[in-house]
Amino acid sequence: MTDVAAVHGHAKSGFWARLTAPENRGPLLVAPAIITLFVMNIFPLLWSFGLSFFNYRANRQNVPEFVGLKNFERVLTDEKIWDRFQTTAIIVGSSVTLQLIIGFSLAMLFAKHFPMRRIIMMLVLTPMMLSFVSVGVFFKLYYEPTFGLLSWVVNLFSSEPFALLSSSTGALIGIIFADAWMWSPFVMLLVLAGLVSVPKYLYEAAEIDRVSSWRRFVTITLPYIKSLLLLAILFRTIETFKIFDIIYIITEGGPGSSTESIAVNIYRMAFQNFRTSRSGALAYIILFIVIVLTNLYLYSVNRRAHEETL
Amino acid sequence: MPLSTFHRQVLGTCAATLLTGGFSTPLLAADITINMAAPDWPPTRFFKEHFDKTYKSPAGHNTTLEMDFIPWPSFYERVAASLTSGEQKYQMIVTDSQWLGSFVEGGYYLDLTEKIKADPELIAIMEDLHPALVSAYSTYPHKSRKQLEEAGSAIAPDTHYYGFPQFPDTYVTFYRKDIFCHEGEAAAFKEQYDATLPCTYEDWQDVDWERYAQIGKFLKRKKGEQLAGETLTDDFYGISYQAGKGYDFSSMQANAFIWQHGGDIWDETNAPEGQAEGVVNSDVAVEAFEHYLSMIPDMPPVAQTGQMDIFVIQDLYMQGKVASTIDWVGLGEPVLDPASSKVHDKSAFGPAPGLRKEDGSIDRTGNIGGQPFVLTTWNSDEVVDEALNVVKWWLDPDTQIEAVSNGGQSGLMSVMADPSYNDLRPWNRAHVEMIDWQKDVWHIPLFFEMLTQQQEEFDKAITGQKSARDALDAVAEFQQELLEDDGFIE
Amino acid sequence: MAKQREIGKAGWGHTAVAGIVGFIYFFPVFWIILTAFKTRTDALEIPPKLFFTPTLDNFRAVFFRSSITSDETAATNFILYFFNSIFIAGTAVLLAMLIGTLAAYAFSRHPLKGNDTYLFIILTTRMMPPIVVIIPIFLMFRLTGLAGSYWGILLLYTAFNIPFSIWLVKSFFDELNPEIEDAARMDGSTDWRVFFGICLPQIYAGLAATFVFGMILTWNEFLFALLLTGVETRTVPVAMARTLGGSVGVDYGLLAAIVTLFLIPICIVTFLLQNQLLRGVTFGTVKK
Repeated sequence: MTDVAAVHGHAKSGFWARLTAPENRGPLLVAPAIITLFVMNIFPLLWSFGLSFFNYRANRQNVPEFVGLKNFERVLTDEKIWDRFQTTAIIVGSSVTLQLIIGFSLAMLFAKHFPMRRIIMMLVLTPMMLSFVSVGVFFKLYYEPTFGLLSWVVNLFSSEPFALLSSSTGALIGIIFADAWMWSPFVMLLVLAGLVSVPKYLYEAAEIDRVSSWRRFVTITLPYIKSLLLLAILFRTIETFKIFDIIYIITEGGPGSSTESIAVNIYRMAFQNFRTSRSGALAYIILFIVIVLTNLYLYSVNRRAHEETL
Repeated sequence: MPLSTFHRQVLGTCAATLLTGGFSTPLLAADITINMAAPDWPPTRFFKEHFDKTYKSPAGHNTTLEMDFIPWPSFYERVAASLTSGEQKYQMIVTDSQWLGSFVEGGYYLDLTEKIKADPELIAIMEDLHPALVSAYSTYPHKSRKQLEEAGSAIAPDTHYYGFPQFPDTYVTFYRKDIFCHEGEAAAFKEQYDATLPCTYEDWQDVDWERYAQIGKFLKRKKGEQLAGETLTDDFYGISYQAGKGYDFSSMQANAFIWQHGGDIWDETNAPEGQAEGVVNSDVAVEAFEHYLSMIPDMPPVAQTGQMDIFVIQDLYMQGKVASTIDWVGLGEPVLDPASSKVHDKSAFGPAPGLRKEDGSIDRTGNIGGQPFVLTTWNSDEVVDEALNVVKWWLDPDTQIEAVSNGGQSGLMSVMADPSYNDLRPWNRAHVEMIDWQKDVWHIPLFFEMLTQQQEEFDKAITGQKSARDALDAVAEFQQELLEDDGFIE
Repeated sequence: MAKQREIGKAGWGHTAVAGIVGFIYFFPVFWIILTAFKTRTDALEIPPKLFFTPTLDNFRAVFFRSSITSDETAATNFILYFFNSIFIAGTAVLLAMLIGTLAAYAFSRHPLKGNDTYLFIILTTRMMPPIVVIIPIFLMFRLTGLAGSYWGILLLYTAFNIPFSIWLVKSFFDELNPEIEDAARMDGSTDWRVFFGICLPQIYAGLAATFVFGMILTWNEFLFALLLTGVETRTVPVAMARTLGGSVGVDYGLLAAIVTLFLIPICIVTFLLQNQLLRGVTFGTVKK
């Protein structure tokens, strides 16, 4: 009723509406979003938090017992888990770096208007629109020693069979390359957005001063895209942290466990082994890390906003 | 524990509503829909097509079969999700035998022991089913074939029965006649190893692992060399078997080596006395595993990546990159199809090699494949009875012969003993010979955890990260701890 | 709109360079599309076949399946799955945009107490690996019976798109000049009219970008779709898995055909709204 009154009220006098709206309208408009998120995200999270203190398994009928912090202890003292975190860190570090390099180079290429730009840019954007399944399956095929395109190319120069995925390093390279190929266009768009926002008069001024192109890049372009790059690093880090499908399809975590990421591990724990509670505990440890990363991300975004207002 | 109590109550109410709402009034002729979860492949596609054409309910019901065809790679996850989420969607489920424990313990698969005991037709079926299949596909807690046979009757005491064969599978050797029967190659092989290059089925019956390894060395050729009178345009290999990290794609073959050498995996039919430590990593087991690994260097290079799974060896064989492969009968049909196979007109099938014993006989013990199908627990008696009618229809000899003619396999001894059986499909003779050697891997709910860890350790050995002994030590240690925790080892 | 971004111009020479780079980058996709027109034996042929007799069998197999027991063919459910994908992704993204736009407007114009905290929590839910929430969601669906229904997966995808929509749309609202709105209110416009008549038309581009990004992120979602959709609600990424191993390993041609078909709608959407993409990707942090 008060809302209706408010609507009527402000129709008569703008002053009054502006006074009351922040109190009523804000919460009202935000409510659907908060409710949906609470039901589908926050509530399940709290539930899982509760479960992580029990010894529940989704495929057993026994009534779960309260075990306190045992699941957390077990996960944190498991060498395997730390090994998986390490693998994830290697993949994230290398893949994000590669995405930045490729994405940056592509962005430089597309930072100008030229004929057929939109069509050629579509070619570069397509990998991002493929499903993980197809990227996984076809890169696995490209790497296959007998049938693979890559192996075929290598065999033009050497007669030894080329099995990229046979060593830990090779398998990691294979995974990182596929992931970086898929997501570099994302970074490209990000950088491109930064590049196109550099005011043209700055370049014109630099031209008059006959500044070298490297200096021009360092003094004009970089400051404009610096915080955007940081943003790209953080955003892709958080996304790559979740890497699952590509690994699961290309190597299944092999050889041995060389490429098994934390997401693959938690998937096995939750859906193959049905260690529901234990996987919940691990999920919370991951969530903690993600929140730290998110904070860094926000910090960088805010700093950029701050820079812009200066 | 407010969560669990709550969830139990809600579940209970849901189940009750379904039962009373759905099928409370028994009529003489009812409309019954049976939802069945099935992997998406020809044996189950045939099941559906043949059902629609021929099934008539003996109880006079108007029965429809709704199949949910789920892609193989996500079949386990999908079935597990459906069962544990409590949606109670399926009345029948095609299942890998290893999943029995997990889903029986979860309360999803129906114990059919009493139903079978009360029904002479079902008893007759159980008596006619090959005992290796009854042991592997039906019993939980798992009983070995020996334990069942010692009981002396089709329904052993203290044994619970759950499943019936939907597709009984074994691995056999797929081989290229044009190479193995090539006179020049045979003569060269004779000269080099003083042995016959196996060409006929009978020749293959005499192939042991030693001979198979020789074939591997003999037929491994580089690009540009000669093979069966032709110049090779690509590297060529003689032998292959599964050695992949995914699912069970190395354990199935490695287990065969371990059993043939006289070693053992952790034996759940001996639980809780049976140990993992000292058994899984015994000297014999290590020797057997080393034997399994010893042939891999002569196989196609994908073996070095630990990805030589059952489909990769099938592809290598069908594209003419390898002269022979040991693979499931269930994957045989595409080999004969010109659309998928370059060697469709050059292929023949023999038994899988085994280990020669001191008396000269060959031990071919292998790990059974294929799938049983089971009933679920949330159905009315009427639906259960009708589902059992479907079971009887499927295991009727006429249906079985039809299934076999269309690329299936039968588990009924009377059907397999039929003289025409071997001619129905080219691998049938080998399949019948192999089925008698089959044993199964674990059925307990922890199976997936054990399998994943074992596959990972085996993969380390296959890709050269670890020795056979270190890998088996790691497997034994893990299994011992895991099984002790859950009371399967005391 | 008055201050157009100024970027350099280049001629056909640049087009040639970009074209070559673009094609190399596109090559793995090109090879997938080529594979869609190959027979199975051609797909695995070594040396790789660039020239071959194209076949449409794979595309036929996407829609029709031949029977085991007879020569008949039956329709696959692919059209249903295709519809499901478009319907579920489209509806969820639009719903998320609707809910997100309302919330974004509130966050921008009527800040709540602890506005930033709300925004942070909302963003956190987006950044979380799906694996973290899938376990409890799975259990929740088990209780509510949402598993397998359109409602379940729609709600889930909507929830996953909301944080992103809020952040993106809010940044567009933030950029608008509030004086115009104030002036309109002074002239007696209702809030309703200010929102629909003045604010929304100005951020049309932003809404387009939100839509494209939401679609790209939702279109190929696999894990939730696998576990929470049923026979009737299955989406293409899940159905695609049928090509990954039955009685024959990976059916490369069929997979490639499905992938190719499945790329078409999302490519069209992206191409049409491409210019707005530059805007959307930064979570709206780039200002004019």
